[in-house]
Amino acid sequence: MNLKQGIALMSSVLAFGLATEAGAVCTQTAASQADRDLWNTHGCWQDFFLWQYQAYGLRSGDWSNRGWNDACNVNLEFPKHWNASYLLTYGMLDNWDQSFHGTEDYRATAEARSSNFHDSLYHSITDRTDVFGTFTPRFWPWDTDRVETACPLYNPTVSNSNPGSRAGDYMHEGWHANFDKYSFDNGNTGGHRPGPQGACTVNGCDYFYFHGISKYVFGAMWENNGTASRFHSPNQVQVEFLCDVADQSQWWIPLSVRQTAAADANGRAASRFINGPGYTCGSPRPW
Amino acid sequence: MQRNKWRVISRTGTVVVTLGLMSGSVAFGADQPGSEHGSSIPPSRVIAGRPLHSPPKLDAADAYKSVNAFITWAGESVVEEQNDARRVLASAAKKPELVQAFTEAILEAHKSGDTSRALVGLGLLGEMRTYDGAKFLAEFVRMPLPTKGTVIEGELQEEAQQARLQAKAIAGVAYLRDPEFDREVAYQAGNHPSVIVRAEAISAYLWNRGDSLEARKALEPFVRKEERLFLDRVRRVSGEGAESFNRKLTAYLKAHPEVQAPNPVRKDPRPPEEKPNTFDVTPPKF
Repeated sequence: MNLKQGIALMSSVLAFGLATEAGAVCTQTAASQADRDLWNTHGCWQDFFLWQYQAYGLRSGDWSNRGWNDACNVNLEFPKHWNASYLLTYGMLDNWDQSFHGTEDYRATAEARSSNFHDSLYHSITDRTDVFGTFTPRFWPWDTDRVETACPLYNPTVSNSNPGSRAGDYMHEGWHANFDKYSFDNGNTGGHRPGPQGACTVNGCDYFYFHGISKYVFGAMWENNGTASRFHSPNQVQVEFLCDVADQSQWWIPLSVRQTAAADANGRAASRFINGPGYTCGSPRPW
Repeated sequence: MQRNKWRVISRTGTVVVTLGLMSGSVAFGADQPGSEHGSSIPPSRVIAGRPLHSPPKLDAADAYKSVNAFITWAGESVVEEQNDARRVLASAAKKPELVQAFTEAILEAHKSGDTSRALVGLGLLGEMRTYDGAKFLAEFVRMPLPTKGTVIEGELQEEAQQARLQAKAIAGVAYLRDPEFDREVAYQAGNHPSVIVRAEAISAYLWNRGDSLEARKALEPFVRKEERLFLDRVRRVSGEGAESFNRKLTAYLKAHPEVQAPNPVRKDPRPPEEKPNTFDVTPPKF
Protein backbone atom coordinates (compact mmCIF):
# COMPACT_ATOMS: atom_id res chain seq x y z
CA MET A 1 0.00 0.00 0.00
CA ASN A 2 1.52 3.35 -1.04
CA LEU A 3 1.17 6.74 0.65
CA LYS A 4 -1.91 7.68 -1.36
CA GLN A 5 -3.58 4.45 -0.42
CA GLY A 6 -2.75 5.01 3.19
CA ILE A 7 -4.27 8.47 3.09
CA ALA A 8 -7.36 7.06 1.44
CA LEU A 9 -7.88 4.44 4.14
CA MET A 10 -7.08 6.83 6.98
CA SER A 11 -9.48 9.45 5.72
CA SER A 12 -12.24 6.88 5.28
CA VAL A 13 -11.79 5.77 8.87
CA LEU A 14 -11.72 9.43 9.98
CA ALA A 15 -14.86 10.24 8.02
CA PHE A 16 -16.64 7.25 9.57
CA GLY A 17 -15.59 8.37 13.03
CA LEU A 18 -16.80 11.91 12.46
CA ALA A 19 -20.10 10.67 11.09
CA THR A 20 -20.62 8.46 14.13
CA GLU A 21 -19.86 11.37 16.49
CA ALA A 22 -22.13 13.78 14.66
CA GLY A 23 -25.01 11.29 14.83
CA ALA A 24 -25.05 10.98 18.63
CA VAL A 25 -26.74 13.64 20.70
CA CYS A 26 -28.00 14.17 24.24
CA THR A 27 -31.68 13.83 25.11
CA GLN A 28 -33.47 16.53 23.15
CA THR A 29 -37.07 16.03 24.18
CA ALA A 30 -37.51 18.68 26.87
CA ALA A 31 -35.97 21.37 29.04
CA SER A 32 -36.21 21.76 32.80
CA GLN A 33 -38.58 24.32 34.28
CA ALA A 34 -35.59 26.45 35.31
CA ASP A 35 -34.32 26.49 31.71
CA ARG A 36 -37.75 27.43 30.38
CA ASP A 37 -38.32 30.11 33.01
CA LEU A 38 -35.03 31.82 32.23
CA TRP A 39 -35.67 31.42 28.51
CA ASN A 40 -38.96 33.29 28.88
CA THR A 41 -37.08 36.37 30.08
CA HIS A 42 -35.51 36.80 26.63
CA GLY A 43 -37.75 34.80 24.30
CA CYS A 44 -34.76 33.70 22.18
CA TRP A 45 -32.68 36.83 21.81
CA GLN A 46 -30.89 36.58 18.50
CA ASP A 47 -28.33 39.34 19.06
CA PHE A 48 -27.11 37.46 22.10
CA PHE A 49 -26.62 34.03 20.60
CA LEU A 50 -24.85 35.61 17.62
CA TRP A 51 -22.43 37.18 20.10
CA GLN A 52 -22.24 34.17 22.42
CA TYR A 53 -21.00 31.63 19.89
CA GLN A 54 -18.02 33.85 19.17
CA ALA A 55 -17.34 34.74 22.80
CA TYR A 56 -17.27 31.04 23.70
CA GLY A 57 -15.35 30.00 20.59
CA LEU A 58 -18.03 27.55 19.50
CA ARG A 59 -17.33 25.60 16.31
CA SER A 60 -20.33 24.78 14.20
CA GLY A 61 -19.18 21.23 13.48
CA ASP A 62 -19.34 20.41 17.20
CA TRP A 63 -22.92 21.65 17.52
CA SER A 64 -24.55 20.41 14.33
CA ASN A 65 -27.69 18.37 15.20
CA ARG A 66 -27.66 20.15 18.53
CA GLY A 67 -29.52 23.32 17.66
CA TRP A 68 -26.87 25.23 15.74
CA ASN A 69 -29.44 25.89 13.03
CA ASP A 70 -32.39 25.75 15.42
CA ALA A 71 -31.06 28.12 18.04
CA CYS A 72 -34.50 28.98 19.47
CA ASN A 73 -35.43 25.41 20.35
CA VAL A 74 -34.75 25.28 24.10
CA ASN A 75 -34.88 21.48 24.09
CA LEU A 76 -31.57 21.33 22.21
CA GLU A 77 -28.02 21.59 23.47
CA PHE A 78 -26.80 24.81 21.83
CA PRO A 79 -29.80 26.83 23.01
CA LYS A 80 -29.31 25.44 26.52
CA HIS A 81 -25.63 26.32 26.32
CA TRP A 82 -26.28 29.95 25.39
CA ASN A 83 -29.16 30.19 27.88
CA ALA A 84 -26.63 29.49 30.66
CA SER A 85 -24.23 32.06 29.18
CA TYR A 86 -27.06 34.61 29.21
CA LEU A 87 -27.52 33.98 32.93
CA LEU A 88 -23.92 34.70 33.82
CA THR A 89 -23.55 37.58 31.35
CA TYR A 90 -26.53 39.63 32.54
CA GLY A 91 -27.92 37.96 35.64
CA MET A 92 -25.45 38.84 38.38
CA LEU A 93 -26.08 41.68 40.80
CA ASP A 94 -22.44 42.70 41.30
CA ASN A 95 -23.10 43.99 44.79
CA TRP A 96 -19.68 44.84 46.18
CA ASP A 97 -20.89 44.51 49.77
CA GLN A 98 -22.59 41.15 49.28
CA SER A 99 -21.45 39.22 46.19
CA PHE A 100 -18.49 36.84 46.31
CA HIS A 101 -17.38 37.93 42.84
CA GLY A 102 -18.66 39.92 39.88
CA THR A 103 -19.81 39.43 36.31
CA GLU A 104 -16.33 40.36 35.09
CA ASP A 105 -14.90 37.37 36.95
CA TYR A 106 -17.53 34.88 35.88
CA ARG A 107 -17.50 35.98 32.26
CA ALA A 108 -13.72 35.86 31.96
CA THR A 109 -13.67 32.38 33.51
CA ALA A 110 -16.29 31.05 31.10
CA GLU A 111 -15.44 32.82 27.85
CA ALA A 112 -12.87 31.81 25.25
CA ARG A 113 -10.71 34.92 25.30
CA SER A 114 -7.15 34.69 26.59
CA SER A 115 -6.86 36.77 29.76
CA ASN A 116 -5.44 36.81 33.27
CA PHE A 117 -7.96 34.07 34.04
CA HIS A 118 -6.79 31.50 31.52
CA ASP A 119 -5.27 31.00 28.09
CA SER A 120 -7.59 30.81 25.08
CA LEU A 121 -10.13 28.03 25.15
CA TYR A 122 -13.17 26.94 23.22
CA HIS A 123 -16.40 25.27 24.30
CA SER A 124 -17.39 21.97 22.77
CA ILE A 125 -19.82 19.22 23.73
CA THR A 126 -19.58 15.49 24.37
CA ASP A 127 -22.13 12.69 24.63
CA ARG A 128 -20.44 11.24 27.67
CA THR A 129 -22.74 10.59 30.62
CA ASP A 130 -20.04 9.85 33.21
CA VAL A 131 -18.92 13.48 33.57
CA PHE A 132 -20.53 16.92 33.76
CA GLY A 133 -17.70 18.46 31.80
CA THR A 134 -14.05 18.12 30.97
CA PHE A 135 -11.08 20.37 30.40
CA THR A 136 -8.47 19.24 27.89
CA PRO A 137 -5.29 21.32 27.72
CA ARG A 138 -3.74 21.98 24.33
CA PHE A 139 -1.10 19.54 23.22
CA TRP A 140 0.78 21.92 20.92
CA PRO A 141 1.53 25.59 21.66
CA TRP A 142 -0.43 26.58 18.53
CA ASP A 143 -3.46 24.57 19.62
CA THR A 144 -6.32 25.73 21.92
CA ASP A 145 -7.54 24.44 25.31
CA ARG A 146 -10.94 22.75 25.15
CA VAL A 147 -13.87 22.82 27.57
CA GLU A 148 -16.46 20.14 26.90
CA THR A 149 -19.82 20.03 28.59
CA ALA A 150 -21.60 16.69 28.71
CA CYS A 151 -25.13 15.27 28.53
CA PRO A 152 -25.85 15.42 32.31
CA LEU A 153 -25.96 19.21 31.85
CA TYR A 154 -28.42 18.93 28.97
CA ASN A 155 -30.57 15.83 29.58
CA PRO A 156 -33.80 17.13 31.10
CA THR A 157 -34.09 14.35 33.69
CA VAL A 158 -30.75 15.11 35.33
CA SER A 159 -30.78 17.62 38.19
CA ASN A 160 -27.84 19.61 36.79
CA SER A 161 -29.71 20.29 33.56
CA ASN A 162 -30.52 23.86 34.52
CA PRO A 163 -28.91 27.20 33.63
CA GLY A 164 -27.19 27.76 36.99
CA SER A 165 -25.57 24.34 37.17
CA ARG A 166 -24.54 24.49 33.51
CA ALA A 167 -22.94 27.91 33.92
CA GLY A 168 -21.45 26.62 37.18
CA ASP A 169 -19.67 23.97 35.16
CA TYR A 170 -18.25 26.65 32.86
CA MET A 171 -16.70 28.07 36.05
CA HIS A 172 -15.39 24.70 37.14
CA GLU A 173 -13.76 23.79 33.82
CA GLY A 174 -12.56 27.35 33.31
CA TRP A 175 -10.76 27.08 36.62
CA HIS A 176 -8.89 23.99 35.48
CA ALA A 177 -7.70 26.23 32.65
CA ASN A 178 -6.65 28.80 35.25
CA PHE A 179 -4.55 26.13 36.99
CA ASP A 180 -2.83 25.29 33.72
CA LYS A 181 -2.06 28.94 33.09
CA TYR A 182 -0.51 29.40 36.53
CA SER A 183 1.00 25.89 36.76
CA PHE A 184 -0.88 24.44 39.73
CA ASP A 185 -1.31 20.71 40.19
CA ASN A 186 -4.69 20.01 41.80
CA GLY A 187 -4.35 16.22 41.72
CA ASN A 188 -4.54 13.36 39.28
CA THR A 189 -8.18 12.33 39.71
CA GLY A 190 -9.62 14.28 36.82
CA GLY A 191 -7.72 17.34 38.02
CA HIS A 192 -8.79 16.82 41.64
CA ARG A 193 -7.61 14.96 44.72
CA PRO A 194 -8.74 11.35 45.09
CA GLY A 195 -11.57 10.64 47.49
CA PRO A 196 -13.39 10.06 49.63
CA GLN A 197 -11.09 11.78 52.09
CA GLY A 198 -11.69 14.17 54.96
CA ALA A 199 -15.17 15.64 54.59
CA CYS A 200 -15.26 14.91 50.86
CA THR A 201 -17.57 12.02 49.98
CA VAL A 202 -16.93 11.77 46.21
CA ASN A 203 -13.78 10.77 44.34
CA GLY A 204 -12.84 14.15 42.90
CA CYS A 205 -12.11 16.36 45.92
CA ASP A 206 -10.85 19.92 46.37
CA TYR A 207 -9.89 22.15 49.25
CA PHE A 208 -11.96 25.19 50.10
CA TYR A 209 -9.85 28.32 50.45
CA PHE A 210 -12.14 30.46 52.59
CA HIS A 211 -12.24 34.17 51.95
CA GLY A 212 -14.52 36.95 53.07
CA ILE A 213 -16.78 39.14 50.96
CA SER A 214 -15.18 42.22 49.34
CA LYS A 215 -11.77 40.56 49.56
CA TYR A 216 -11.36 40.32 45.79
CA VAL A 217 -11.98 43.38 43.66
CA PHE A 218 -14.40 42.49 40.86
CA GLY A 219 -12.26 41.24 38.00
CA ALA A 220 -9.52 39.98 40.33
CA MET A 221 -10.76 36.46 41.10
CA TRP A 222 -7.85 35.13 39.02
CA GLU A 223 -5.31 36.48 41.52
CA ASN A 224 -3.33 34.08 43.67
CA ASN A 225 -0.23 34.47 45.77
CA GLY A 226 0.82 30.85 45.49
CA THR A 227 -0.38 30.08 49.01
CA ALA A 228 -3.66 29.01 50.58
CA SER A 229 -4.27 32.57 51.78
CA ARG A 230 -5.27 33.79 48.32
CA PHE A 231 -6.42 30.98 46.14
CA HIS A 232 -9.50 29.21 44.71
CA SER A 233 -10.20 25.62 43.71
CA PRO A 234 -12.51 24.62 40.80
CA ASN A 235 -15.34 23.40 43.05
CA GLN A 236 -15.01 26.51 45.19
CA VAL A 237 -15.36 28.88 42.24
CA GLN A 238 -18.39 26.85 41.20
CA VAL A 239 -19.97 27.06 44.67
CA GLU A 240 -19.33 30.80 44.96
CA PHE A 241 -20.87 31.39 41.54
CA LEU A 242 -23.93 29.26 42.37
CA CYS A 243 -24.31 31.08 45.70
CA ASP A 244 -24.22 34.40 43.88
CA VAL A 245 -26.91 33.17 41.48
CA ALA A 246 -29.02 32.04 44.44
CA ASP A 247 -28.63 35.15 46.61
CA GLN A 248 -27.06 37.91 44.55
CA SER A 249 -28.64 37.80 41.12
CA GLN A 250 -30.65 40.44 39.29
CA TRP A 251 -34.23 41.05 40.43
CA TRP A 252 -35.67 39.44 37.29
CA ILE A 253 -33.95 36.07 37.69
CA PRO A 254 -36.74 33.48 38.16
CA LEU A 255 -36.96 31.76 41.53
CA SER A 256 -36.69 28.31 39.92
CA VAL A 257 -33.23 29.32 38.67
CA ARG A 258 -32.21 30.63 42.08
CA GLN A 259 -33.51 27.59 43.94
CA THR A 260 -31.80 25.05 41.70
CA ALA A 261 -28.57 27.03 42.00
CA ALA A 262 -28.85 27.01 45.81
CA ALA A 263 -29.53 23.25 45.84
CA ASP A 264 -26.49 22.58 43.64
CA ALA A 265 -24.28 24.92 45.69
CA ASN A 266 -25.29 23.41 49.01
CA GLY A 267 -25.03 19.82 47.78
CA ARG A 268 -21.60 20.49 46.33
CA ALA A 269 -20.40 22.43 49.38
CA ALA A 270 -21.36 19.57 51.70
CA SER A 271 -19.78 16.78 49.69
CA ARG A 272 -16.79 17.95 47.66
CA PHE A 273 -14.34 19.56 50.06
CA ILE A 274 -11.69 17.79 52.07
CA ASN A 275 -11.37 20.47 54.74
CA GLY A 276 -15.02 20.56 55.74
CA PRO A 277 -18.06 22.10 54.11
CA GLY A 278 -17.95 25.33 52.19
CA TYR A 279 -20.38 28.11 52.93
CA THR A 280 -24.07 27.30 52.88
CA CYS A 281 -26.13 29.73 50.86
CA GLY A 282 -29.75 30.72 50.61
CA SER A 283 -32.21 31.05 53.43
CA PRO A 284 -33.59 27.78 54.84
CA ARG A 285 -37.06 29.32 54.61
CA PRO A 286 -38.84 27.08 52.09
CA TRP A 287 -40.23 29.93 49.95
CA MET B 1 -7.65 -5.26 -11.61
CA GLN B 2 -5.75 -4.84 -8.38
CA ARG B 3 -4.22 -1.59 -9.68
CA ASN B 4 -7.61 -0.27 -10.84
CA LYS B 5 -9.11 -1.07 -7.47
CA TRP B 6 -6.47 0.97 -5.64
CA ARG B 7 -6.90 3.81 -8.11
CA VAL B 8 -10.61 3.95 -7.24
CA ILE B 9 -9.82 3.84 -3.52
CA SER B 10 -7.20 6.59 -3.97
CA ARG B 11 -9.62 8.86 -5.80
CA THR B 12 -12.32 8.17 -3.24
CA GLY B 13 -9.79 8.94 -0.55
CA THR B 14 -8.91 12.25 -2.20
CA VAL B 15 -12.58 13.21 -2.31
CA VAL B 16 -13.05 12.21 1.33
CA VAL B 17 -9.97 14.21 2.38
CA THR B 18 -11.29 17.22 0.49
CA LEU B 19 -14.69 16.84 2.14
CA GLY B 20 -12.99 16.36 5.49
CA LEU B 21 -11.00 19.58 5.04
CA MET B 22 -14.18 21.39 4.04
CA SER B 23 -15.98 20.16 7.13
CA GLY B 24 -12.90 21.17 9.12
CA SER B 25 -13.21 24.71 7.87
CA VAL B 26 -16.85 24.68 8.94
CA ALA B 27 -15.83 23.34 12.32
CA PHE B 28 -13.54 26.30 12.79
CA GLY B 29 -16.32 28.82 12.84
CA ALA B 30 -16.92 29.72 9.22
CA ASP B 31 -20.67 29.94 9.69
CA GLN B 32 -22.92 31.23 12.39
CA PRO B 33 -25.87 29.73 14.25
CA GLY B 34 -29.38 30.66 13.28
CA SER B 35 -33.08 30.23 13.75
CA GLU B 36 -36.25 31.32 12.02
CA HIS B 37 -37.71 32.33 15.36
CA GLY B 38 -35.04 34.60 16.81
CA SER B 39 -36.26 37.74 18.55
CA SER B 40 -34.73 41.16 18.12
CA ILE B 41 -36.44 42.54 21.23
CA PRO B 42 -33.97 43.08 24.10
CA PRO B 43 -34.78 41.19 27.32
CA SER B 44 -35.35 44.39 29.28
CA ARG B 45 -38.50 44.91 27.19
CA VAL B 46 -39.55 41.26 27.38
CA ILE B 47 -39.25 41.36 31.16
CA ALA B 48 -41.13 44.64 31.39
CA GLY B 49 -44.01 42.95 29.56
CA ARG B 50 -44.52 40.30 32.26
CA PRO B 51 -47.11 41.51 34.79
CA LEU B 52 -45.85 41.31 38.36
CA HIS B 53 -47.89 40.45 41.45
CA SER B 54 -50.49 38.39 39.60
CA PRO B 55 -50.37 34.89 41.05
CA PRO B 56 -52.99 32.48 39.77
CA LYS B 57 -55.72 31.49 42.20
CA LEU B 58 -55.59 28.19 44.03
CA ASP B 59 -59.01 26.67 43.56
CA ALA B 60 -59.92 23.67 45.73
CA ALA B 61 -62.65 22.67 43.27
CA ASP B 62 -60.03 22.22 40.57
CA ALA B 63 -57.10 21.49 42.85
CA TYR B 64 -54.82 19.50 40.56
CA LYS B 65 -55.01 21.94 37.66
CA SER B 66 -54.73 25.09 39.72
CA VAL B 67 -51.82 23.78 41.79
CA ASN B 68 -49.89 22.89 38.65
CA ALA B 69 -50.55 26.33 37.22
CA PHE B 70 -49.41 27.87 40.50
CA ILE B 71 -46.15 25.89 40.51
CA THR B 72 -45.48 27.03 36.94
CA TRP B 73 -46.10 30.65 37.93
CA ALA B 74 -44.04 30.38 41.11
CA GLY B 75 -41.02 29.00 39.23
CA GLU B 76 -41.11 31.96 36.90
CA SER B 77 -41.81 34.50 39.65
CA VAL B 78 -39.15 36.79 41.09
CA VAL B 79 -38.03 37.71 44.59
CA GLU B 80 -40.35 40.68 44.91
CA GLU B 81 -43.29 38.33 44.27
CA GLN B 82 -42.38 35.96 47.09
CA ASN B 83 -44.82 37.62 49.46
CA ASP B 84 -47.61 37.30 46.87
CA ALA B 85 -47.01 33.55 46.80
CA ARG B 86 -46.83 33.37 50.58
CA ARG B 87 -50.20 35.09 50.96
CA VAL B 88 -51.89 32.71 48.52
CA LEU B 89 -50.28 29.71 50.23
CA ALA B 90 -51.34 30.84 53.71
CA SER B 91 -54.91 30.96 52.52
CA ALA B 92 -54.67 27.65 50.66
CA ALA B 93 -53.28 25.89 53.73
CA LYS B 94 -56.81 25.65 55.10
CA LYS B 95 -57.90 23.45 52.20
CA PRO B 96 -56.74 19.81 52.36
CA GLU B 97 -57.52 19.22 48.67
CA LEU B 98 -54.89 21.76 47.73
CA VAL B 99 -52.28 20.30 50.10
CA GLN B 100 -52.99 16.92 48.56
CA ALA B 101 -52.66 18.33 45.05
CA PHE B 102 -49.25 19.80 45.92
CA THR B 103 -48.03 16.40 47.10
CA GLU B 104 -49.19 14.82 43.85
CA ALA B 105 -47.54 17.52 41.74
CA ILE B 106 -44.27 17.08 43.64
CA LEU B 107 -44.22 13.34 43.11
CA GLU B 108 -45.06 13.81 39.45
CA ALA B 109 -42.21 16.31 38.95
CA HIS B 110 -39.84 14.02 40.85
CA LYS B 111 -40.89 11.06 38.71
CA SER B 112 -40.41 13.05 35.50
CA GLY B 113 -36.88 13.97 36.63
CA ASP B 114 -37.44 17.75 36.55
CA THR B 115 -35.61 18.62 39.75
CA SER B 116 -36.17 22.35 39.34
CA ARG B 117 -39.97 21.92 39.27
CA ALA B 118 -39.91 19.45 42.15
CA LEU B 119 -37.81 21.90 44.19
CA VAL B 120 -40.32 24.67 43.56
CA GLY B 121 -43.21 22.38 44.58
CA LEU B 122 -41.42 21.26 47.75
CA GLY B 123 -40.65 24.85 48.69
CA LEU B 124 -44.26 25.91 48.25
CA LEU B 125 -45.60 23.00 50.27
CA GLY B 126 -43.13 23.68 53.09
CA GLU B 127 -44.16 27.32 53.09
CA MET B 128 -47.81 26.28 53.67
CA ARG B 129 -46.93 25.03 57.16
CA THR B 130 -49.61 22.37 57.45
CA TYR B 131 -49.54 19.17 59.46
CA ASP B 132 -50.43 17.04 56.44
CA GLY B 133 -47.90 18.82 54.28
CA ALA B 134 -45.12 18.35 56.83
CA LYS B 135 -46.11 14.70 57.23
CA PHE B 136 -45.72 14.21 53.48
CA LEU B 137 -42.39 16.03 53.50
CA ALA B 138 -41.10 13.89 56.38
CA GLU B 139 -42.11 10.76 54.47
CA PHE B 140 -40.45 12.13 51.36
CA VAL B 141 -37.21 12.58 53.33
CA ARG B 142 -37.44 8.96 54.47
CA MET B 143 -37.76 7.59 50.95
CA PRO B 144 -34.85 5.18 50.36
CA LEU B 145 -32.14 6.60 48.14
CA PRO B 146 -31.57 4.93 44.76
CA THR B 147 -28.69 2.50 44.66
CA LYS B 148 -28.27 2.12 40.89
CA GLY B 149 -27.69 4.53 38.06
CA THR B 150 -25.06 6.85 36.66
CA VAL B 151 -21.92 7.54 38.64
CA ILE B 152 -20.08 10.83 38.12
CA GLU B 153 -16.91 11.41 40.13
CA GLY B 154 -17.90 8.68 42.54
CA GLU B 155 -21.33 10.19 43.13
CA LEU B 156 -24.44 8.27 42.10
CA GLN B 157 -26.45 10.92 40.28
CA GLU B 158 -29.87 9.47 41.02
CA GLU B 159 -28.96 9.45 44.72
CA ALA B 160 -27.63 13.03 44.66
CA GLN B 161 -30.68 14.18 42.74
CA GLN B 162 -33.07 12.74 45.31
CA ALA B 163 -30.92 13.99 48.19
CA ARG B 164 -31.15 17.57 46.90
CA LEU B 165 -34.93 17.25 46.91
CA GLN B 166 -34.93 15.65 50.34
CA ALA B 167 -32.79 18.54 51.60
CA LYS B 168 -35.47 20.94 50.40
CA ALA B 169 -38.12 18.77 52.03
CA ILE B 170 -36.39 18.69 55.41
CA ALA B 171 -36.24 22.50 55.35
CA GLY B 172 -40.02 22.44 54.99
CA VAL B 173 -40.39 20.06 57.92
CA ALA B 174 -38.23 22.32 60.09
CA TYR B 175 -40.22 25.39 59.08
CA LEU B 176 -43.35 24.03 60.75
CA ARG B 177 -41.54 24.59 64.08
CA ASP B 178 -43.50 21.86 65.76
CA PRO B 179 -41.94 19.66 68.50
CA GLU B 180 -43.00 16.40 66.84
CA PHE B 181 -41.48 17.40 63.51
CA ASP B 182 -38.45 19.00 65.16
CA ARG B 183 -37.57 15.58 66.52
CA GLU B 184 -37.68 14.27 62.95
CA VAL B 185 -35.37 17.05 61.76
CA ALA B 186 -32.92 16.35 64.59
CA TYR B 187 -33.05 12.63 63.82
CA GLN B 188 -32.31 13.20 60.13
CA ALA B 189 -29.47 15.60 61.05
CA GLY B 190 -27.55 12.59 62.26
CA ASN B 191 -29.11 9.61 60.54
CA HIS B 192 -29.99 10.41 56.96
CA PRO B 193 -27.72 8.42 54.63
CA SER B 194 -26.84 11.50 52.56
CA VAL B 195 -24.56 14.23 53.89
CA ILE B 196 -26.47 16.69 51.67
CA VAL B 197 -29.64 16.09 53.70
CA ARG B 198 -27.87 15.92 57.06
CA ALA B 199 -26.21 19.27 56.35
CA GLU B 200 -29.50 20.93 55.42
CA ALA B 201 -31.27 19.43 58.43
CA ILE B 202 -28.64 21.00 60.70
CA SER B 203 -28.80 24.37 58.97
CA ALA B 204 -32.63 24.47 58.91
CA TYR B 205 -32.96 23.34 62.53
CA LEU B 206 -30.65 26.11 63.72
CA TRP B 207 -32.05 28.83 61.46
CA ASN B 208 -35.60 28.18 62.62
CA ARG B 209 -34.41 28.82 66.18
CA GLY B 210 -32.58 32.01 65.39
CA ASP B 211 -29.20 30.24 65.33
CA SER B 212 -29.24 30.37 69.11
CA LEU B 213 -26.75 28.71 71.40
CA GLU B 214 -29.61 26.72 72.99
CA ALA B 215 -30.60 25.30 69.61
CA ARG B 216 -27.02 24.32 68.93
CA LYS B 217 -26.78 22.56 72.30
CA ALA B 218 -30.07 20.76 71.70
CA LEU B 219 -29.03 19.52 68.28
CA GLU B 220 -25.41 18.61 69.00
CA PRO B 221 -26.09 15.15 70.50
CA PHE B 222 -27.87 14.10 67.30
CA VAL B 223 -25.10 15.17 64.95
CA ARG B 224 -22.38 12.72 63.98
CA LYS B 225 -19.16 13.39 65.82
CA GLU B 226 -17.19 13.86 62.61
CA GLU B 227 -19.79 16.35 61.37
CA ARG B 228 -19.99 18.68 64.37
CA LEU B 229 -18.27 21.24 62.18
CA PHE B 230 -21.58 21.65 60.35
CA LEU B 231 -23.08 23.17 63.51
CA ASP B 232 -20.78 26.18 63.11
CA ARG B 233 -20.84 26.39 59.35
CA VAL B 234 -21.07 29.88 57.84
CA ARG B 235 -24.33 30.71 56.08
CA ARG B 236 -24.55 33.50 53.51
CA VAL B 237 -28.07 34.79 52.96
CA SER B 238 -29.48 37.37 50.60
CA GLY B 239 -29.09 40.90 51.91
CA GLU B 240 -26.27 40.09 54.30
CA GLY B 241 -23.42 42.59 54.10
CA ALA B 242 -19.68 41.93 54.05
CA GLU B 243 -19.12 43.07 57.63
CA SER B 244 -21.59 40.59 59.10
CA PHE B 245 -20.52 37.71 56.89
CA ASN B 246 -16.82 38.31 57.40
CA ARG B 247 -17.26 38.48 61.17
CA LYS B 248 -18.95 35.07 61.14
CA LEU B 249 -16.27 33.64 58.87
CA THR B 250 -13.44 34.93 61.06
CA ALA B 251 -15.05 33.38 64.14
CA TYR B 252 -15.52 30.06 62.30
CA LEU B 253 -11.90 29.92 61.14
CA LYS B 254 -10.67 30.81 64.62
CA ALA B 255 -12.79 28.11 66.23
CA HIS B 256 -11.76 25.54 63.60
CA PRO B 257 -8.12 26.01 62.60
CA GLU B 258 -8.24 22.48 61.17
CA VAL B 259 -10.18 23.74 58.13
CA GLN B 260 -7.16 25.73 56.94
CA ALA B 261 -6.25 24.29 53.53
CA PRO B 262 -2.63 23.42 52.71
CA ASN B 263 -0.76 25.54 50.21
CA PRO B 264 -1.36 24.64 46.56
CA VAL B 265 1.13 22.47 44.70
CA ARG B 266 3.07 23.69 41.68
CA LYS B 267 3.71 21.80 38.45
CA ASP B 268 5.98 22.44 35.49
CA PRO B 269 4.88 25.42 33.44
CA ARG B 270 3.78 24.79 29.89
CA PRO B 271 4.96 26.75 26.85
CA PRO B 272 3.02 29.96 26.25
CA GLU B 273 0.21 29.82 23.72
CA GLU B 274 1.09 31.03 20.26
CA LYS B 275 -2.25 32.33 19.02
CA PRO B 276 -4.24 33.90 21.84
CA ASN B 277 -7.95 34.49 21.24
CA THR B 278 -8.51 38.24 21.47
CA PHE B 279 -12.27 38.38 20.90
CA ASP B 280 -13.31 41.29 23.07
CA VAL B 281 -16.64 42.50 21.75
CA THR B 282 -19.07 43.89 24.32
CA PRO B 283 -22.20 41.73 24.61
CA PRO B 284 -25.39 43.26 23.19
CA LYS B 285 -27.19 45.84 25.28
CA PHE B 286 -29.69 44.29 27.67
